[in-house]
This record gives sequence, structure tokens and C-alpha cells, in this order.
Amino acid sequence: MSPILLTIYVLIWPVIVAGTLAVIVRGFVKEALEAKEEGVPII
Amino acid sequence: MDLLGISTALSATAVVLLLLVFYGGTVYMSMRIARKEENADSYMTAGHKIGFGISAASMTATWIWASSMYASVNSGYLYGVSGPIHYGLWGALMILFIYPFGKRIREVAPQAHTLAEVMFARHGRSSQLMLAGSNILGSVISLTSNFIAGGALIAMLSPFSFIQGVIVIAAGVLLYTLWSGFRASVLTDFAQVLAMLGAVVIIVPAMFFFLGGTDLFVSGAQNLTPQQQSFFSSDAFLNQGAPYIAAVLAYAIGNQTIAQRLFAVREDLIKPTFITATIGYGATIIGIGMVGVLALYAGIAPMDGDPNNLLPQVAAEYLPGLLVAVFFIMIIGSLSSTADSDLAAMSSIAMTDVYGQSMRSRGLIPNPRTMLTIGRVTMIVATVAALGFANAKFNILDLLVFVGALWGALVFPVIASFYWKKVTNSAFTVSVLVALAVFLPTRFGLIPDTGVAPWIIEALAVVGVGVVLGLMVFGFFGTRAALIIGGIAAVVSAPFVFDFLRDYDTLTASLVAYAVSTIVCYAMSVRSSMEFDFAKIARRTADYDTEEVAEALEEESEEHSESVSAGRDARRSSDDDDDKINV
Repeated sequence: MSPILLTIYVLIWPVIVAGTLAVIVRGFVKEALEAKEEGVPII
Repeated sequence: MDLLGISTALSATAVVLLLLVFYGGTVYMSMRIARKEENADSYMTAGHKIGFGISAASMTATWIWASSMYASVNSGYLYGVSGPIHYGLWGALMILFIYPFGKRIREVAPQAHTLAEVMFARHGRSSQLMLAGSNILGSVISLTSNFIAGGALIAMLSPFSFIQGVIVIAAGVLLYTLWSGFRASVLTDFAQVLAMLGAVVIIVPAMFFFLGGTDLFVSGAQNLTPQQQSFFSSDAFLNQGAPYIAAVLAYAIGNQTIAQRLFAVREDLIKPTFITATIGYGATIIGIGMVGVLALYAGIAPMDGDPNNLLPQVAAEYLPGLLVAVFFIMIIGSLSSTADSDLAAMSSIAMTDVYGQSMRSRGLIPNPRTMLTIGRVTMIVATVAALGFANAKFNILDLLVFVGALWGALVFPVIASFYWKKVTNSAFTVSVLVALAVFLPTRFGLIPDTGVAPWIIEALAVVGVGVVLGLMVFGFFGTRAALIIGGIAAVVSAPFVFDFLRDYDTLTASLVAYAVSTIVCYAMSVRSSMEFDFAKIARRTADYDTEEVAEALEEESEEHSESVSAGRDARRSSDDDDDKINV
């Protein structure tokens, strides 16, 4: 693999991690707000 | 202390502050949700209705543990560019491939708490004991391994000793998990996943630039063998990837921490939760494994020749102080999130499989308060046991690899029991025991290399390849597709297996365990007259701490107090009679 491809190969994973983290946080915030509205604990 | 050829990366004050912030934060979170009177079912499964955000975070955090980070770096260093893929991808698929089976298990046992409990409802005591025993063994090993990783990290990066580190980690995890159990475990998992995944997002690019950036791939290329430079390395596949593919379903079935989350998440959210956790785990572990690849290009030699030292060593040597602190929290978060899940898993097995089901099977009503006490005592006992094992410092990960291969014997009997009415308790038990009897001599190289024996073992391994891939396909596409793919996989693999696989004992033994348990379980079940009614499972695995149970227990205690007072009256009158006689 060329150095550029290797660079992309190394750095693509933190980008995927950041995307997954954003999805998880969005889900958590949405559920926390819903729970607050309904007056029930989130867990 | 000068372990790394430099002064310790973090001062005693910094480590104490970081640990106080981390464990102080998790204790605060668990106190926010603590109830004076915890519900026994919530203590085990949080009421079976956790949302997507918390459950996806929890599944990701639980599956990422310190050892998986170290092992991925190790794999990148040993096998080159494809190494982290062959560690992280298959570990991630363990989460993905279990979810179709998880949906089926929830369908037949919507209120279950442990997989062993469902096995008890399906078959009886012996299959329950096999599954609960293997779950407990796996969790004790995992707990010990995480304590060891924490102690080693603290000893390496700070002036504190290994045993001081182990005790602090154990006390911290127990402190925030003990009162609210699984609820505390999953809520704190959310904060821990933020810390872990956030740290990976920062640390991997930072490490890349501190080690030289793109130029490193030019200047360091001579440090790699052609196999290490290849994205399709056969070395990496045979030594790292293939044994892991064989273990994909075994680890998922043998691990109560996954089952607990399958029973806890809202049923309609199982699929998105497990797909998100698959991507989160895979990207995190493969990403951190890139540190091993970078270290290989940079020509860094691991301290004491032990590749397990590589990750903390590179972090301490190449990262600035602030990022070393971020790295420290990442590892502490990864080991704590798995350790608290192991404690919650073991407590639920003790509450359900040791106490709850044994009471129900005798026609008695389990007392939820007693269950909670049993759960908390189990957590304390497990922590003390793991502390003892950690102090003994034997190679716990070798044991986990061994147990993981052993779990292969359970996979087909467990999965078949949820779909096929004909599987009997004796078919389950005998198939697992026979598989273990063949697995052990194969695993320890006791099968002679000459004569017909190795050919028979390799023929079983071919069947094992078909079973592994067939079961993976079965979860998603059903029996017909599974038989076609399994058959093709066995035929295609045969030329590569015969006269070759005998040199790879771990992989061969694992495949043989799958094959033997499948053949025996099928042969004993196919002619059985059993027509099991799956509706029975839901009735036998209902919640323990409900209003109906409370009313029944109240009635029971009233009857008991009435019978006690009636007994007292009877004794009093008989005493009176005695008095009369004596008079």
C-alpha cells in the first residue's frame, strides 16, 4: 500500500469511532429528554 | 521508579486526582439512580426496557476491555497492517452474529434474566449448570484480567505498586456497582464509552503525527516483512483471524454480559443496538491496534520483549502529559466498564440460577429481598476472589483463550434448543460432554501425528467449519441457507484442512468441539419423541419482584404467622396438659 493509502487506513478508524459516538450520544440525549418530559427516570 | 527508561509518566498526585475524578464521577452517577429499596428484576435487567442510547453504549463499553486494546496493538505489531483487522473485526462480529439469536431468545423468554435460567426452563438442571458454570468461569477470568490490567497500568505509569493499583480498581468498581447492580453498570457505561471512544478519536491521530506522520510509512517500510506489509497476510489470518472466527459464536454464547443486555434492551431496539455496538467496538479496537502498526514501522522494541507492554510504553514515551492522562482514563474506563458488567453478570446468575429457579422448582416463591442480598454478597465474594487470582499473577489470558475454545462445545446445543422442539436434556448434556472429551486431547496435542487419528480429527474439523459458518448464516437467513453455506464451506475448506490443520492445535480443537457437539446433539435428538412447547419457557422465567409476588409473599407470611401463633397456642395448651398431668 502507498503511504497515502496507509495514512487513510490508519486515520479512518477514529473518524468511524467519532461517528458512532455521535449516534450513541444523540440516542441518549433523545431518551433523556423524553424521560424528563414524562417524569420517569431514564433507567 | 524508572520502568520505561524515563521517569514515571504520571505523578502520584496526578494519578490520585484522575482516579478520584473517574471513580468519584461513577459513584455520583450510581448514587443519582439509587433507590432505598432496589427492585430485584431491575438489579438484574433494568426492567427489560432500556433505550437505544444507553444500551448501545453499554454493549460497546462492556465488550471493549483493556485486554482487547492491548491484544489489538499486539496483533498490529506482530502481523503488520492486517493484524488489527484480524483481531477487532472478528471480535466485533461476536456482537453482530448473536443478535438474531437474541431476538429469538427474547421471543421465547421475554422476562428472563440469564441464559442459564432459560436453559433450565427448556431442559432442566444439568444444561443450566453447564451454561451457568461456563458463564461464571468466563466472568471470573475477565474480572481478574481487568484487575491485573489496571494494576499493571498504574504500576507502569505512576509511582504506585501493582497491588496498590489492583486494590484501588477493585474497590472503585465494587463501590459504584454494589447497590444498584446492572442499572449502575449500564448507566456508568455511557460515561465510560464517552471517555473511551473520545480518547481513541484523539490518541490515534496524535500518535500518528508524533511518530512521524505519512513519512513514517516511507522511512520505516524496511522494518516490515512482506507478510506484515500485506493486507491479505496468511500469517495474520491463520494465527490471529481463523481461531477468532471459530470463537465468534462461542464467546457470545458463553458470556452472560451479552445475554444480560439482550434481556435488558427494549425488544424492538435489539437490532440497532447491536449493530451500533458492532461498529463502535470494531472501529475502536481496530483503531487502537493501529498504534501497534505504527510502532512496527517506527522500529520500537517492546519493553522486556513483551508486546503487551507496547501500548502504555508508546503512550508514555511519545504523548505529552495531558494525552497520557487521556490514555490513562481510556484504559481505566475500558477495564472498569467490563469489570462492573462481570460483577452484574455473576450476581444475576447467583440470584436467578442458584436461588430463584431452585425455589421455583420446589413450588416456593423466591423472596426478592433475599435475592438482592445474594446478588450483593456475590459481587463482594467475586471481587475478593478476583483480587486473590490477580495477586497470584498467573497467565489469565491463556486461560481465557482455552475457555473460549471450550465454549464451542455449547454453541449448537444451546442454539438448537431455542428453535428445535426435539432437542432433549440428555442430548444437550451428552453432546457437550462428548465434545469436551474430544476437545481436550486435541487441544493439548495428545492426538498422535501418524496413522488414522489425525485424519479423523481433521475430518471433524471440516465439519466444524461447516457448522460455524452454517450457524452464522442460520441466525439471519434460516435453515436452508445455513445448510447450503455450511456445506459449501466444508467442501471448500477440506483440501486446505487435511494434512495441514494438525499443526494448529487451538484452531483444530475449537472446530472439533463444534463438530462433535453438533453431530451428537443432532443424532440424539432427531429420533426423539420430544415436542417441546416453547410457551412454557416464558411462564417459567417470569419476573421475580412484581406486585403479584409481593401480595403472594404477604399472604404466605400471614399464613405463616397464623400457623406460628396456632403452633404457639397448641404448644401452650399441650404445656397446660403436661402441667395437669404433672399435677
